Amino acid sequence: MSGTQTERLIEALAARAEPVKRLPHPAWRALIWMTLASASVIAIVLYWGVRSDLAQKLGEPRFVIEVAAALLTSMMAAAAAFCSGCPGRPLWERFAPLPFLVVWLASLGAGCWTFLTSSAATSQAFGIDLTCSQLILVLSLAPAAIMFVMIRRGAPIAPLTTAGLGTLAATALAAVGLRFFHAQDTSLMLLVWQFGTVLVLTAAGALIGQWLQPWQHPRLEGI
Amino acid sequence: MTDRAERESRWRDLMESSQQGDQVAYARLLRELLPLLRRVVGRKWRSPQDVEDIVQDILLSVHSVRHTYEPARPFMPWLMTITSRRIADAARRLSSRAANETTVDIMPETSSGDGTKNHDDVSNDRQDLQMALSELSDGQREAVELMKLQGLSLEEAALKTGKSVAALKVTVHRALKAMRASMEKKN
Repeated sequence: MSGTQTERLIEALAARAEPVKRLPHPAWRALIWMTLASASVIAIVLYWGVRSDLAQKLGEPRFVIEVAAALLTSMMAAAAAFCSGCPGRPLWERFAPLPFLVVWLASLGAGCWTFLTSSAATSQAFGIDLTCSQLILVLSLAPAAIMFVMIRRGAPIAPLTTAGLGTLAATALAAVGLRFFHAQDTSLMLLVWQFGTVLVLTAAGALIGQWLQPWQHPRLEGI
Repeated sequence: MTDRAERESRWRDLMESSQQGDQVAYARLLRELLPLLRRVVGRKWRSPQDVEDIVQDILLSVHSVRHTYEPARPFMPWLMTITSRRIADAARRLSSRAANETTVDIMPETSSGDGTKNHDDVSNDRQDLQMALSELSDGQREAVELMKLQGLSLEEAALKTGKSVAALKVTVHRALKAMRASMEKKN
């Protein structure tokens, strides 16, 4: 293509320069996502019924720290996903969920250490619990769908990162929801089957989701 | 105010006006961006044609994501992020195309000279092909040109035309079928 064609392209693009609705601030978009996604998770939790010992669990510092860290991981990952779709924003924003992810992991790790060094640790205490994985998958479907619809409004400048952060937001929120109705409190089980599922789904979401964000160029006839 | 700061401020204003639908401001902004984009792309690509193709790709990308620019934030980082992303995409496209090509010193002989077509045959084939191509609908012709003549992949052609991969696959299949029928009728 030549410089003349570039000139024609500029004319064609200028002729199609309708007013555009500016993308809202990433924090505002994260808030909108959080509201919609939480509503879907709460609806499912209420449908299945909250765990009978919830009031007692809410009095345990480790449970509160774990759930709060997972919730903040979800919120910050959502904000980071929206930031990564805005060209020119600082790169550090993409790492915003990391401190909360570390706290979440540390709270589970501390629980594992306490459990493994206690007399209650037996080989029967650990086993395969695919229910956790399946429930996280089900709970994260609607939040992930809303997320991918929303991130497609941004620019696909870092599709893999955006998709990964978006999936992390959805799966971390699902893990929070799961803690409210699934009575599984063995830290080792939570670490492997809940946190592990979140990481596996995040990796899968990043790989698949990057293809869901193509550059959507206008159709220009005759250029 | 330095030249660079003055340029930044002007481009920011022009972009803000463009977002509000000011076509004159938008055309001026894109024209002013051209020398910079050609210079940046030219640092990585030698061929003027490649440079122009990538610059056009960047202009299309700027157009499709112009709603993501926040006037409160600087314009240059916004533009340069898109530019470097599109340069990286172009490099990836080139390397994936190069991976499918083999460089040989001497082309292997695949048929004897007696059986090959003479100049007239080749010329007739070309005319028939052009005729068959011209009989296609605009959409079918565009799909064939992009995928069979320019060698774009299904995904790249889908991006360029705005059609889905599945729709494009069907379009190319029908177009080739129509071209085959047209050429068989003539022979």
